[in-house]
Amino acid sequence: MEKYLKCTFLLATLVMGSVLYGQADINPKENRAAMILEQLKNPSGDYILAVSHRGDWRHAPENSLPAIQRCIDLGVDIVEIDVRLTKDGHLVAMHDKTLDRTTDGKGKVRELTLDEIRAFRLKNACGVRGSRIPVPTLEEIMELTKDRIMVNLDKVEGETVREAYEILKKTGTVKQAIFKGRETVQAMRKKYGDLMDSIIYMPILIDNTKNPAQFVQDYNADLSPLAYEVTFDSEDSENFKQISKLREEGIFVLNIALWDDLVAGHTDEMSLLEGPDASWGWLVERGANGIMTDRPEELLIYLKQKGLRNP
Amino acid sequence: MGTLGACRQEVGTPGQTEETPFVGESAGESTSITDLIANLKDSRNKEIIVVAHRGDWRNAPENSLQAIENCITMGVDMVEIDIRETKDGQLILMHDETVDRTTTGTGKVADLTWAYLQTLYLRDGIGHKTPHQIPTLKEALQLCKGNILVNLDKSYPIFDKCFNVIEETGTQEQVVIKGAIPYDRVKEEFGPYLDKVFFMPIIRLHEPHAKDIVDTYLDSLQPVAFEFTVPQDTLKMIEYFDDIRARGSSVWVNALWPRHNGGHDDEKAAMDPTVYDWFLDNHIDMIQTDRPKLLLEYLRDKNRHK
Repeated sequence: MEKYLKCTFLLATLVMGSVLYGQADINPKENRAAMILEQLKNPSGDYILAVSHRGDWRHAPENSLPAIQRCIDLGVDIVEIDVRLTKDGHLVAMHDKTLDRTTDGKGKVRELTLDEIRAFRLKNACGVRGSRIPVPTLEEIMELTKDRIMVNLDKVEGETVREAYEILKKTGTVKQAIFKGRETVQAMRKKYGDLMDSIIYMPILIDNTKNPAQFVQDYNADLSPLAYEVTFDSEDSENFKQISKLREEGIFVLNIALWDDLVAGHTDEMSLLEGPDASWGWLVERGANGIMTDRPEELLIYLKQKGLRNP
Repeated sequence: MGTLGACRQEVGTPGQTEETPFVGESAGESTSITDLIANLKDSRNKEIIVVAHRGDWRNAPENSLQAIENCITMGVDMVEIDIRETKDGQLILMHDETVDRTTTGTGKVADLTWAYLQTLYLRDGIGHKTPHQIPTLKEALQLCKGNILVNLDKSYPIFDKCFNVIEETGTQEQVVIKGAIPYDRVKEEFGPYLDKVFFMPIIRLHEPHAKDIVDTYLDSLQPVAFEFTVPQDTLKMIEYFDDIRARGSSVWVNALWPRHNGGHDDEKAAMDPTVYDWFLDNHIDMIQTDRPKLLLEYLRDKNRHK
């Protein structure tokens, strides 16, 4: 299976590479991330983006470099990672506030220094210690992903957009990272001012978004975001109604197939129980341009079968 | 038994894995439980037995029925599951002493009732609730029956109760129990079961009397296999594996963590599958893994698994 995928992707990469080589002086590697950004800017019905949650955590520890590398190897478009600030001001990839669940260490990220955190090792997804893999910094992640895949940064909007932006500038990856957040455009402007114009920002419509139509209207008027993350617990929800409106305006819609209340039950899990048409297919039919998944390998196979991976 | 080994090789062609495009379909020929048991008993053939640790926990919650079913579909030979007893005597699948990490509930299994545990849901590898629930040993064995061998971990101290379920489900011939204890003690504590289920001694290879313990077992019980913990790959005892197999017992080594195999572990193999060469080169014929799919692909390529 893995071999099959590798062959397919190798082939896909080769084909894409040769097409891109047709254009003078363009590095095909560079164009992988650029191609993805182009899809965000101009979403097409023939190419649905695969977004992998916390890297491919079924393959390697969540938010680890091997989990991200695996997404690159699979041909995932965007890898979502969680970023937190250490006591001494470094950004590291960590979902929880503490190290307890995912590493063999203990304590809060913000109460430990980078050196202290680097001494621990990540556990695998059955909680077993014995791995050699350390907690990566955002800088390492951006170096690994540069030109190869886009990165979606979670847990930054409240406090660390500035720090993250500095890393992106340093690594030359400002155009390859997507920030996101649930706050209104007014709140984000107040907090970050002009910096909002320098980053790629994806507003999130979540269950407690007050007046989703207004939220979208205000964002569109001020920032013209490339994309929105839209979650909905039912088809009757106001958030769900925004999807068709966004699509009419040519704005990219990302759905989150992880849990029931984010996609009215049309989850990854449903794709296993009832078949992918019932979940991922359902989302695409209703306007999704991208799907965030915990099963990137299976999602990519499905999208290819359906002819939804033709850039 | 040697004939069986040869027969298997003919059936398993190396091209199989590449022709299997979809997740969830078995990449190998279907193997009957009779073949699996015969292979387990045969320490001399070339066929490697793949044991999946806690089921296919990457793609379903660890110790769930789905995790076992995935293994059956994949063509795994044996699934390792962990057994614990609830406050009111139900035997369930659960690795940790508490249900905190892997379910939506909290507390020690030994302090909780089956009625309560049935209200819980299992979590996936990143801690999120799934639709799967805690299976009983009976449900697990019913699923394994006729499909896959099963290693019941943590069952030794509660084995009388486990054996009732094994008998009830008619899975005696499929069950392997392990223990890091010398023969005298096993005979005393486990005697009545020694001819009913497969008992495998666990031997820590770096311990001074490792060879004596092995020889005593070989001369008495003649176990179906030994599990060896191999903290360093320079240990002299590794050279003894070939003899042990010639004398009729298989050699089981875990690929799980570096300290089991002198650093030739699954995590390394994920980056470079030839890491598994070490197992074949050292005459190991049973491998417990956290990467059953990868290991099966590797072995099928080498014509060492159906």
